[in-house]
Amino acid sequence: MALNPWIVIVIWAVIIIIMMSAMLALPMFWSRRKPDPLRDMPFESGQVPQGEGRRRLVMQYYPYLLMFVVFDVVAMFLFAWGISFTKMPLDASLPVILFLVLAAPPLGYALHLALNRENW
Amino acid sequence: MVGFPPTPAEILALIIAIVTSHQFITIVVFPGFIHLLLVVAFLTWYERKVLARIQLRIGPLYAGPGGILQPLADGVKLIFKEIMIPYKADRPLFLGVPLMLALLAALPFAVIPFGQNWVIANLDVGIVFVFAAASLFPSMILLFAWASNSKYPFLGGLRSLFQQVGYEIPMWISTLSVVMLAGSLNLVDIVNAQSRIWFIIPAFLSFIVFFIAAMAELERLPFDLPTAEPELVAGWVTESSGAIFMLIFMGLYMKLYLMSALVTVLFLGGWWGPAFLPQPVWFIIKTLIVATFIIIPRGVYPRIRVDMLIKLGWTRLLIIALANVFLTILLLSSGVLSAWGWL
Amino acid sequence: MVFCQLGGGCELPLISIPPDLTFIVLAAVTIIGSIMALQAKELIYGAVALAVSFIGIAGFFVFLDAPYLAMLQIAIYVGAIVVLILFTIMLVRREATDELTDRPERGEGAVGVWLAGLIAVAISGVAALAGPNLPAEPQPASLPISDLGPTLALQYPIPLIILALLMSAALLGAMALAKLEK
Repeated sequence: MALNPWIVIVIWAVIIIIMMSAMLALPMFWSRRKPDPLRDMPFESGQVPQGEGRRRLVMQYYPYLLMFVVFDVVAMFLFAWGISFTKMPLDASLPVILFLVLAAPPLGYALHLALNRENW
Repeated sequence: MVGFPPTPAEILALIIAIVTSHQFITIVVFPGFIHLLLVVAFLTWYERKVLARIQLRIGPLYAGPGGILQPLADGVKLIFKEIMIPYKADRPLFLGVPLMLALLAALPFAVIPFGQNWVIANLDVGIVFVFAAASLFPSMILLFAWASNSKYPFLGGLRSLFQQVGYEIPMWISTLSVVMLAGSLNLVDIVNAQSRIWFIIPAFLSFIVFFIAAMAELERLPFDLPTAEPELVAGWVTESSGAIFMLIFMGLYMKLYLMSALVTVLFLGGWWGPAFLPQPVWFIIKTLIVATFIIIPRGVYPRIRVDMLIKLGWTRLLIIALANVFLTILLLSSGVLSAWGWL
Repeated sequence: MVFCQLGGGCELPLISIPPDLTFIVLAAVTIIGSIMALQAKELIYGAVALAVSFIGIAGFFVFLDAPYLAMLQIAIYVGAIVVLILFTIMLVRREATDELTDRPERGEGAVGVWLAGLIAVAISGVAALAGPNLPAEPQPASLPISDLGPTLALQYPIPLIILALLMSAALLGAMALAKLEK
């Protein structure tokens, strides 16, 4: 019987979830559970932890996240174009080439800005 | 057709028909669930042996002949250990995210073809499905690091986020060259297009970029920052113990197998090989060779620095991958490959 | 009486499984995800619920025979934008987020349920009255993936160019904002 491949993927995901949940549920039966305040302290190489565990850190790398979003979209469009590259006449690729040409300098400049920030 | 209510004989016939159908065998046995578990367990042993030989040691030796049962011993030990949830950690996320990690690492195996007919689900959007599943990894790691409520995991999680996010784009662009050569997103079609020539030859630069980006995605040395031992204890996995650690560990090794299988499918011709061995065997041989080359640098190279990591991913790899895309455009439009009968 | 056929669907009087079951499951996932994204006490849970609702929408794209769009949705929305949201939440001070717990007004939930019920009754009433004159379900236009690129490039070149300019402007604007605060 030929199943729709997406249904097969759902079946595969369900099988994996069941098996992994079984692996997670086994320790509930087989291992001891005694919450101990000394053992449950967050690990800091032996010393008493100080400060909140999720401190606010100045993270200078977040422009890369922004760039990732934009490059992600560009890459997806390029995939849509790349499949049919051999099947289209060359002038059908012109809008995509123009797309790249228009987007590349600003993206390159954004990359340059991110790389040369004086913070790091 | 089954009437209602179905008789036991009909149920039995139905079950037998399902269990012996090709679809069921691919899902459960090969290349499905049982094969995945066995190979992942084998890979943990294999890695320890390879690294041991590089470091002039022997590696696991006592559990079974040559230490081959070591993964089983590790698994049993981890199941029996207590799961320690840190103080004020986020319990649902702490327990649920490792499950999702293992699921996300195993899910793309549904579309990877091990042979002409050995694929669980032959999607038309094959490679993009793999990348969509892989793009969910950074958020899972970030959630787990946050849920651990501890400084070391949080720092490790942030580092892991930027590392994985930064190397996904070079991986995608290098796959673009392969997709252009093959003319399809379907992984079976991509392998079939390599029946004359493996794509590593026309897309050699892409192969290099993909290999390096895959190593960065797997957080393997030299891209070991998120779990750097001298700095972060164990990075974002610090607070995981017992079965949680086992799930994460399995997820990491499934990802290793996944990336090696992807390299084989995209660049090394998948299952094509001389006919004296069946197709899936060739696939597994090639995948193991790739996995060996991913494992070896762990014993050889020092760790890369953060700013060099970012520069490598965002500038040099991206430019090399784009160069290969242009090269592919030239190759395809000039008709060199089809003139020589290779495509 | 034969209810279920092997390989076909089960036909019960009102709904036929599986297409309607798929729709109901997907709709439930999406709607519950988005409601929880609004109502969650912890912002992180809200972000996770938002990711779940995005995955539900991706499921709808698969259901409507647009698998490439579904993968695009997951890779971009769940893979990049939710990551951005999570990252932003994690770097905001706790004090700023602790005051966001506003108690729901009395009867807020009841009004919502009542309105939803009104709309449901209205739609099903119209559907029942129209009866056999309802137009057939429109079949989603099936566009093979290999046609997606040429269609995009040949029929919609102007939106492509505008998209390139828009993305560049958004990115440079974000970087400028980031530079301003230094």
